[in-house]
Parts: sequence; C-alpha cells; structure tokens
Amino acid sequence: MNKFILNGIYGVLGLLMVSAFAFKIFQPIQVLPRMQLSPAFDLTDQSNERLTSEDLRGQFVLYTFTYTNCPAPCFNINETMQEVQSRLDEVQLDGINVSFVTISIDPERDTPEVLNDYAKGIGADTSKWRFATTTNKSLLKTIIGSGFETYYEDKGNGSFAFDPAFVLVDGWGIVRSEYRYSTEVSNADRILRHLGVVAEEARNSVGTGKLAYEAAHLFLCYAP
Amino acid sequence: MKIKILLSILAVTLGLAAGLYFFRPHTFHGTVIQSPEPSYDFTLTSANDDISLSDYRGKLVLIYFGYTFCPDICPATLANVGQSLKELGTKADDVQLIMISLDPERDTPEKLAEYVAHFHPSFIGVTGSQEDLAKIAALYGIFYEKTDGSDNTGYLINHTATLLVIDREGYLKLVFPFGVTVPEIVDDLKYMLRQ
Repeated sequence: MNKFILNGIYGVLGLLMVSAFAFKIFQPIQVLPRMQLSPAFDLTDQSNERLTSEDLRGQFVLYTFTYTNCPAPCFNINETMQEVQSRLDEVQLDGINVSFVTISIDPERDTPEVLNDYAKGIGADTSKWRFATTTNKSLLKTIIGSGFETYYEDKGNGSFAFDPAFVLVDGWGIVRSEYRYSTEVSNADRILRHLGVVAEEARNSVGTGKLAYEAAHLFLCYAP
Repeated sequence: MKIKILLSILAVTLGLAAGLYFFRPHTFHGTVIQSPEPSYDFTLTSANDDISLSDYRGKLVLIYFGYTFCPDICPATLANVGQSLKELGTKADDVQLIMISLDPERDTPEKLAEYVAHFHPSFIGVTGSQEDLAKIAALYGIFYEKTDGSDNTGYLINHTATLLVIDREGYLKLVFPFGVTVPEIVDDLKYMLRQ
C-alpha cells in the first residue's frame, strides 16, 4: 500500500513537472516582461501645455526621442510612428487608448513653437501624438538617459548623437518593451503585435486568468 | 478490479488537484517587476545619518514617497505597513521601510523621524535637496507637484501613492497600488522573505 501511495506521489510530481515544461515549451500564453518603472516627468508640449506622466496613466504610450534639427530621414522614427498610428485598428485594444509621445533632447532650440511647426510639417495628428520637452536639462537627462535608458549626447555643433529608441509603456507606467536601433528600430509590425499582447493581458488577466498570466511571466514566456 | 481502477483514477485526480494547489506559483497582490538591473541607489539624510538604499542589501526594503503634512493617503499607507510588520512578528526584522520626503522645505530629518515613529519604530524617514529628490522620484516613477491647500494645511503635494518593494539583492520587485490591504502586504512579504 505504501508503495502504491509513493508511486502515486511520484506520478503526480512527474505530471506537474511535465505540465510545467509543456507550458514553457508550447507557451500557450505569451506576455511582455515588466521591465522597469517608466520615469515620472513634467514636460511642456507643442501647444505649450503641461504633459505629465500622470496624464498618461491608464493608457499605452509609445515614446520616441529626437530633435527637430535632426537631418531627414533621422532614422525613420516619424515614419514608424505614423505607420503604427495608421494601423492601430489592426490591434484589439478594447477601448484602451494609445498615446504617442516624442520627447525632444534639444530643449534650447525645440521650444513649443518649434515643436508645433515640426509636428505640422510632418503631418502629425497632435490629438494623439504629442511633442514635448523640458528646459530643465539635468532632469531631462535623468528622464531620458537614466529613466528610459536611452543614450543621447550634445555634440556641440548643433547635432546630437542619440539612440533612436522606441519605448512601450503600459497603463501602470511600466516599461514593457524597448526597440533599439541595434535590433530593429523601424518595425511597426513588431510594435503593433506587442500592443496586442499587452492589451490581451490587460483583458484576460483577471480572476483565474491572472494565475495563467503570472505563470507566463514566471516561465518567461515572452512574445518575440 | 474495476473498483481498484476507479480508486486509482480518483487518487491520481485528487493528488493532481492537491499538487496543483500546493505547487501553484504565488500570485502576488502587487505588480511584479522583472527588472534586469538593481534599482537606483540613492543616498539621503535621516535624523541619525546619511543612508543609502544599498546599506540595506539582505533585507526587503519598502520605499514610500510622501510628506509629513500629507492629510490622508500617506498616513493610511504607513499605518497599513506598520500593522503588516507587526503581523510579521520577528520576520519583520528583515524588512525596512524608508519614507522619502517630497517636501524638503518643511520636512526636516528630525521631524520625519518623529512622524514615521508613530507608525512603526523601525521606520526611517529621509530627505535631501530638491534636485536629488526630483531625480530619485523621477526614476522611481513618482510624479509630484505642489498645490494650494487651506490656511490650516498650508500647501499640499499631489504625488503618486505607490508602495515599492525592493528585494534582498536590491532589485525593484513589487509595486503596490494605493489601497493595498494589510493581509495583501503580509502575504506578499511572507512569500518574498521565504525566497
């Protein structure tokens, strides 16, 4: 009888291990990692209005970083932003708003007026895509450099060296994905797919579903 | 024979159910962060000395941003953490709460020490320059701004009211929203203390 119970316990443990491996290998649920907290900020946008990190809570935000004097095509950042916006209806967002924010690394020249002209010049829909910066250069460096972990440097000749990164932040203010130049900067397909993944998690990660999504985080079942 | 087979199926089913229950992953009440890097190591001033986050490696560190004139959410959160530590008993020796003031104009280190002691004797209150605090708050995702108050309260400070948990190795592990309850804090901290 003892042997019977022991075999039963081994069997159950074995099944659990197989289930765990199967979950990891087949990844029935995929998520994006919760990488870090997005930095808090208080910026001024192209309409000379405040744009704070709190204003963007509860929605997905795609951030980019640039300066308006960046020679065209400037890493095709704007083209990718516009492509993502124009194809948003491909993603099932369930009413979750997506905002687009471009933060200028050149606050001396990129005043609200200049940012406004720039936005008009590239045909940006400023109801969902805002251009902002702060004249507090030290804090700007903290926000972009340390907070978004995006390198930039004033070359002193009117140009900047910078990483043309995209950063996707969820409604809790958590960075969920980064798209670096060295990997794939101009990839609207991947950004849209990732928006779908975080929207699906927001939709389904409730009740017992939350356990499955937390298991997906635990087993690092990350969407490619 | 049939009974034996039925009993075996029943035993395996019950065993699986029990196994799934006992080996299920802990479901955190806070939001889990899988940060690849240790969180920003600040150094600020307490009533006794300057302290750094890295001084508390080996302990769970709870970080709360607030101010002593805060009329509602700060005392509510600190009271909940204080009660949680009491419920953890001796295990609370491995937990340290640090309250970072967002109001350096009015919150002196001494005033902070007196304030946080009301909630739990182990709590530490720290402050620093406006520049340092702005940087630290930004990097921990804490937005804050000064707003008008009444003659009685003086100015108020609106701020993000999350409670952050740093693990023993210095990584940000958990973010509790405002309103997290004592049992929820205790449950997550107990799990982390076992790690």
